[in-house]
Amino acid sequence: MRRSTTFVFCSILIGVALAGACGKKSAGGAAGAAAPAHVDGTTHTDAVLDAWKSAGLEPQGFAPVTPPPYVATYCERGTVGGVDATLCEYADDASVDRGQQQIRDEWARTGVHTGVVLRGKRTVLSAVDHELRDPNGKTINQLVQTFRKL
Amino acid sequence: MRRFLMLAAGLSVWFVCVTAQAAVVRYLSQHPLPRKMGGGFCYIDVPHVHDFGPSDPRMYRQVDGQYYFVGDPAPFDYQGPRTAYYGPHPIVEANVQFGHPEYCYLQGPHYHWYAPPPQASFEMRGGAYWFTGTYEPVYYQERPHYVAVNEAYAPIVYARPVVDITLAPAAFHGEIVGGGPGWRAGVVVGAPPPPVVQVGVGINVGGPPSTVIVEHDNGRHRGWEKHEHERGGWRGPPPGRGGGWRGNPQPVARGGGWRGNPQPAPAGGGWRGGQPQPAHGGGGWRGGGGGGKPSHGGGWKR
Repeated sequence: MRRSTTFVFCSILIGVALAGACGKKSAGGAAGAAAPAHVDGTTHTDAVLDAWKSAGLEPQGFAPVTPPPYVATYCERGTVGGVDATLCEYADDASVDRGQQQIRDEWARTGVHTGVVLRGKRTVLSAVDHELRDPNGKTINQLVQTFRKL
Repeated sequence: MRRFLMLAAGLSVWFVCVTAQAAVVRYLSQHPLPRKMGGGFCYIDVPHVHDFGPSDPRMYRQVDGQYYFVGDPAPFDYQGPRTAYYGPHPIVEANVQFGHPEYCYLQGPHYHWYAPPPQASFEMRGGAYWFTGTYEPVYYQERPHYVAVNEAYAPIVYARPVVDITLAPAAFHGEIVGGGPGWRAGVVVGAPPPPVVQVGVGINVGGPPSTVIVEHDNGRHRGWEKHEHERGGWRGPPPGRGGGWRGNPQPVARGGGWRGNPQPAPAGGGWRGGQPQPAHGGGGWRGGGGGGKPSHGGGWKR
């Protein structure tokens, strides 16, 4: 937790410093970029969300992440029972491996109370319990078991 | 100049941040949660990470940098499926591939969350699975190190499975131990006159046959007795209090310890003959009553 806080603090400092260094406000960023699209040939995020709902879980606030993180082609992020879940679709296997490694590296940097990253075809589930909302991992395990059946 | 200083400061902070590594501990499957984390059990049965390490590494095996819990989950508020085993056996969890044989070194009756696959060399007898195959050499090589898992369980009080050891399969190569950590169930084979069997006497094999008593203390399971006079082991005549079979002369003292070499007992498992126990015969007799630490328990053992 302390490391997470430190990381957030560091990120803010970096952002402020870089903004100050760059002087003028930054340009529009991702504005105008094409909306990411689902990847053919792998499990789509909405199918995963439907499966979770069918299993009695309650996904909340899932929305596409733009631009997609972890070298993914398409990602959605939300919560399930207090657990942060990210679903990403990848164009190829090499990207899947790189994406998973980036997630693990991020955890190693920032710390994570509980984290799972799991691959199904070229879709990757990343579930993180930052705030000890799932102390015995039952929600995460249910997310994982349902995801594995797809 | 101001911009340059701010950029330098930002880069410095960034460098400090990226070089700091958080504690990430990798687990291969389900495992108990340390008391400092509130205790209980983590039910995630795929590889995952936590920011805390295992509470007792003796209950784990490290596989490619990941901790795999090899113990009995029962004492940790575990609420999933349970399968009863007796004695050491290969770890046969279907979802976990080690790439080489790995063994559970728990002695006596215990639980795991997995059942053995049909093709594995296990026999269900007397309420538990017994490994009836042949131990690989690595089992003996690693046993001195990993048998410490029994010491980890020694002070833990919990309900072990009740197993009728009189039904031990002939091909079981392990030893029949007297009770076990936190285990109060009792099994007596033989007919000590009179058949005084107290709750928690553990297991005694030997002596005159004719009576089989299997006792359970209705779930209280007070665990290993702390007092030496109740700790089992053979206590030759006259019978004292506490458990233990007391009918026959004291078995030849051969020290305690585990001697589960791949030498199948001719009569299968423990010696259960009606005659005085053989001095060097197969099987084994192990004093009951919790018997102290398994690796140091008294009793007679071939």
